[in-house]
Amino acid sequence: MNAELMLKLQAWVDGELPASEAAHIAEWVRKDAAAAALAAELKMTRGFLTGNEPEVKLPESREFHWSKIQKAIERAEAEPSPREALPWATALRRFLVPVSGLALVAFLTVLSIGIFNRDTSTGTTDELLVEEETLSRHVETSTYNSQANNMYVVYIINKDVGDDDPMDLDSDMDEDMDDSVIQ
Amino acid sequence: MILTRFFSRQCRLLFLALVFSLAAVGAHAEEIKLEAKLIWASNEPKSPKPEHKPVDKATEEKLRKPFPQWKYFFVETNVVQIIPSRGSNKFTLSKSCTLEITELEGPRVEVTLIGKGKPVHKTTKEISKGGWFVYTGDDKHESAWIVIVTQLEK
Repeated sequence: MNAELMLKLQAWVDGELPASEAAHIAEWVRKDAAAAALAAELKMTRGFLTGNEPEVKLPESREFHWSKIQKAIERAEAEPSPREALPWATALRRFLVPVSGLALVAFLTVLSIGIFNRDTSTGTTDELLVEEETLSRHVETSTYNSQANNMYVVYIINKDVGDDDPMDLDSDMDEDMDDSVIQ
Repeated sequence: MILTRFFSRQCRLLFLALVFSLAAVGAHAEEIKLEAKLIWASNEPKSPKPEHKPVDKATEEKLRKPFPQWKYFFVETNVVQIIPSRGSNKFTLSKSCTLEITELEGPRVEVTLIGKGKPVHKTTKEISKGGWFVYTGDDKHESAWIVIVTQLEK
């Protein structure tokens, strides 16, 4: 008995064959002992499965069960999504991302400029950027910048020698030093 | 959802970077320690003021280059002060000579030379450790005064 005949026999047991073919199989089962034995075994298995199939029953009526699911769907649709509930957070995030990114770039730029300018001890642009202002009409100034010695010198030249010297720094020495500037 | 989480993480990272940046900028503004020396230069080997002490060899060597006309250098006053961040301090070097120094952003300093209570000159420049900022002028009796401002380690 080949597999195709066995399948046809099973279909016959389950009542799935058309009448003409079913009659043909019935005749074959009646004449062939092996086919009859297989048919009997299939019938027994079918009866066993049908009789012992577990039946799950809902603890509530069908209408009530589906109405609960429908209500749950309606409730979920009515609730606002977290994104809609916090629009300010989204707006703040959208604002902070580019702003903080720009701030970071600006900071790194300033930092790198500072580092590159600071590491060279002499002759940097910052060191040469000097602002001067003469605040007394009695003096003139001249400057000397020595990058080799890392020194910036401002010469104060008194225009009114003999007059009221603004750099007469210690008049206590006048007696000893005849109006000395420094002592 | 994944995209939102990604941007949220990006946002947090960038915000942290911003906070650290601001903290670093704030930390950069700090006080500085400065020394101001008033020096008398002369060709006389001895100063008329007995309390005058000759400058140390290193200072003398460095002074000889811009002031070759003077043979001897004596320390009149030596004042060390802390300049608070974005603040000022006064260095009284003699009865008539005062420096007022302000710490500025950069770090730069604004140095005002005050003679007999009147402002004489103001200079704003960067100051660095090892660098000298000098005010000088001729004095009576073939001598000169020199004010040296240097930054010290804190």
